[in-house]
Amino acid sequence: MSSSQAALVFLVMAPGAVFCLLALTWLVGWVPSERVLSRITGLTFTTCLLALSPLLWTLASTGDSAISVTFGNWFAVHGYRFPLVLMADRLSLPFLAMTVTLSGLIGQFSATYLHREGGFFRFFVLLHLFAFGSLLAFAAGSFDLLIGGWELVGITSVLLIAFFDQRPAPVENSVRVFAVYRACDIGLLVAVFAMHNWAGNASFAAGMPKLAGAQPTIVCLFLLLAAAGKAAQIPFSGWLPRAMEGPTPSSAIFYGAISIHAGAYLLLRVQPLLAETRIATICVIVIGLATAIYGTIAGRASADAKTSLAFASLTQVGVVFVEIGFGLRSIAVAHVLGHAAVRTLQFLRAPSMLHDYHRMHSAIGGEIAPTGRRLEDLLPRRTQLWLYRWALDRGHLDTILDRGFIDPLLRISRLFARLDNAGRSTSAERRTKPPISIRCPAEQGVE
Amino acid sequence: MASTAWNPGATVLDVIAIGAPWLAAAVLTVWRRQPRLVGFMASLLSVAASAHLLLAAPEGESLYEALMLLYSCLTAGATLVLPKRDCDSRTISGILFLLGATLLAYSSGNLAVFLTGWVLSTIPFFPESWFRARAWRPATSLVLSSLALAAAIGIIYSSGHAISVDALKGRSPGGMAAFGLLVAAVILRKGIWPAHAWVADAAETGPSIPTALLLNGHLGALLVAKLILPLFPRTAGNVFPVLSWLAMATAIYVAIRTLTENSPRRLLAGIALSQSACILAGLESRTSEGITGALVHWFVVTISTTGLFGILRLLEVRFGENLTASDFLGLAGHAPRLAVFFAVFGLALVGLPGTLSFCSQDLLIHGTLMSHPVTGVVLPIATAMNAVSILRLFARLFLGRRRTGFTHMADALPRERWTLAVGVLFVVLGGLFPNLIVAQRSAEADRVVSAQAGPSVWAELSEHPPERIDHRPAASGESTRH
Repeated sequence: MSSSQAALVFLVMAPGAVFCLLALTWLVGWVPSERVLSRITGLTFTTCLLALSPLLWTLASTGDSAISVTFGNWFAVHGYRFPLVLMADRLSLPFLAMTVTLSGLIGQFSATYLHREGGFFRFFVLLHLFAFGSLLAFAAGSFDLLIGGWELVGITSVLLIAFFDQRPAPVENSVRVFAVYRACDIGLLVAVFAMHNWAGNASFAAGMPKLAGAQPTIVCLFLLLAAAGKAAQIPFSGWLPRAMEGPTPSSAIFYGAISIHAGAYLLLRVQPLLAETRIATICVIVIGLATAIYGTIAGRASADAKTSLAFASLTQVGVVFVEIGFGLRSIAVAHVLGHAAVRTLQFLRAPSMLHDYHRMHSAIGGEIAPTGRRLEDLLPRRTQLWLYRWALDRGHLDTILDRGFIDPLLRISRLFARLDNAGRSTSAERRTKPPISIRCPAEQGVE
Repeated sequence: MASTAWNPGATVLDVIAIGAPWLAAAVLTVWRRQPRLVGFMASLLSVAASAHLLLAAPEGESLYEALMLLYSCLTAGATLVLPKRDCDSRTISGILFLLGATLLAYSSGNLAVFLTGWVLSTIPFFPESWFRARAWRPATSLVLSSLALAAAIGIIYSSGHAISVDALKGRSPGGMAAFGLLVAAVILRKGIWPAHAWVADAAETGPSIPTALLLNGHLGALLVAKLILPLFPRTAGNVFPVLSWLAMATAIYVAIRTLTENSPRRLLAGIALSQSACILAGLESRTSEGITGALVHWFVVTISTTGLFGILRLLEVRFGENLTASDFLGLAGHAPRLAVFFAVFGLALVGLPGTLSFCSQDLLIHGTLMSHPVTGVVLPIATAMNAVSILRLFARLFLGRRRTGFTHMADALPRERWTLAVGVLFVVLGGLFPNLIVAQRSAEADRVVSAQAGPSVWAELSEHPPERIDHRPAASGESTRH
């Protein structure tokens, strides 16, 4: 294994190893202090950043298109193989660098921001798991492995949305986000299955799987479902404002920088396949464009800073989707990197920005005057009002999803419950339950 | 017992694995002291004997030995996790009786012995003093499934004039009547739609951990793997998809049903049922990937659901038996380790990357989609819904405002913590190094696929068993169990 290959393996595995280590120490009953934890985090991401340099040097000096490390098959059953291939090429390397840099920065910021917060340890453990999942997804040499990282990013995102678990709203919202993620991930699973079935593999380390006829369209549409879910594109945009319940550093890294761009990465990865299918390309452009317009309108009616930033993110990611649809790959990558950096900074500034505004208002003795005309002023008054209501309800996306899908599903569920309960014995129904226990029942059997 | 050529070593180990728990159960009826210790030691004996059997089993033919080891370990773990309140000699003797009966069914190569194991495993769920549920459906389903199996075996015996599984392989003895009765037994025992409701009733109104052990014996799936596929390869190939469709219908029906369920026990039972229905769908897929996925998923579902039911029982003992998912209970503040164990087991059940179920689900979904491209989509959808349900349950039980008013509340005690940690370690290490398990199950899946390919293939395999299955030195003197 060459030094660049070793660096790639270290880069991906280091946050995962730290996560396992922290989890084990917690299991045996030791929780490191805040200082130790932030130093471990700083050390991990600094060394990961250093590990990037041999990768960059090798790619720049040798002119190779990619550095890959093959560990054989994770598991195999006859023709069906799950290859363990890590790969750093000109697409994944910027995403790897972005992940490592921003995760390290967020770690350092959070050491102060979450000081003495109850979930300090939990946050850092999940930050490492998230970094591992992201790095795995971006360095995966096959869609099989990409799913692993993709799912880990999803679950850490959900657990961090529920970070402030004393309030019901963050917890409810985390379940909602998880439901959208899981529903959309079905697209990724089915696409990977289709690739295995039609092309015999789902690896892209040696070029995209060979598909013919309508196959690329079907695969790309399923992948678009997964990408749209992860990137909160229309019609799945409703979960993004809900995700703002998490702590600001996690909002910054997930919805300003990395997780929100994972969908764009997926589409960039399948861009050669996407170029073969006009239907899927049009879908990508239409979804991106619709999301960009939706994001900018809904964002204007947002009352809080983080939600405004979330909609601004949505708008930019929508534009990135359009760029990918038009085949502007390099521009899309540059757009993602620039956007991630700026948006992370904005998210991290959001809490202190309010204080700054208050200070400014005090200094000038009143509100800051509006800076000028807005685009919506050009519209007729009635249209403005209609758009305002539409934006205030976030494009009715959640309402449509609720009425069109979730409510009918829950009604069916309740119907099934009635059917199942029809034959239950009365003894089960009349089961007497003890009153709510608020005293220690240790004397009843807990040792 | 399962061997064609009688092997005294294997038989002795079988007798130890099955007899030790039964003997301990009998001892506990007269000597009621230290039930946990007696139960654990008897389970440990079963574990040791099963492990020896597994090591001695030919490569690629170790499924039943592996299941015996798994179930013995599960019972040993259950005796440790069982709360002090539940840990009396009656409960432990019932659990040990169940262990012996289940291992008897696993190890049998004979229809009569299989039926005996099947029936005996239901016995502890009838007397009030053992594990009888306060609902009529569990007992009825168990009785009906036993009757269906007994009738099927009766027809098979009268038609095939043999009682050994090896002697009846590929002969479709008893025809459609026997096949239909066997399928009915599977449906009733496994809780396949429309006979699914008893599982939730049993979980809600019966004792939690013993019920989990009953469900995780997966004798319905065992009946498919042990009798239906080998005995009826041609019939199974033509008619068996019906059972597969029913299994998929169960998976999605129960997954939808649990979305609005607020009783934690019923919710867990629903998720367990939905996931174990996937096992049946995978077994029927007639692809190596699907069957391997089903066999690996069998392990995952068994460990995860027993872990989840165990944790739920520990919570009930600590916080009262009226736990509900209709409100946020905020128990993570009091029991953070139990919360983490619950989250890991729950997510491991629904395909969290890094756990064994990620691999099993991957294979299972791939295999099922290959054999049923349209209806197979049901499995990932059902799994996604189950994931939402398990996260909802976790959120409702563990998150929310921390309850006050408790004078002192213990988190996982050391014996509970380390037992649960072993279970977590299995699903996580299995997920990191899945090939150790997948390769073994893959070889067994090949045999099942070969059997389903038709009698001629099976006959060909049977004519040359040594080249195919016996890779060990001739002088080793070990078992040649089939």
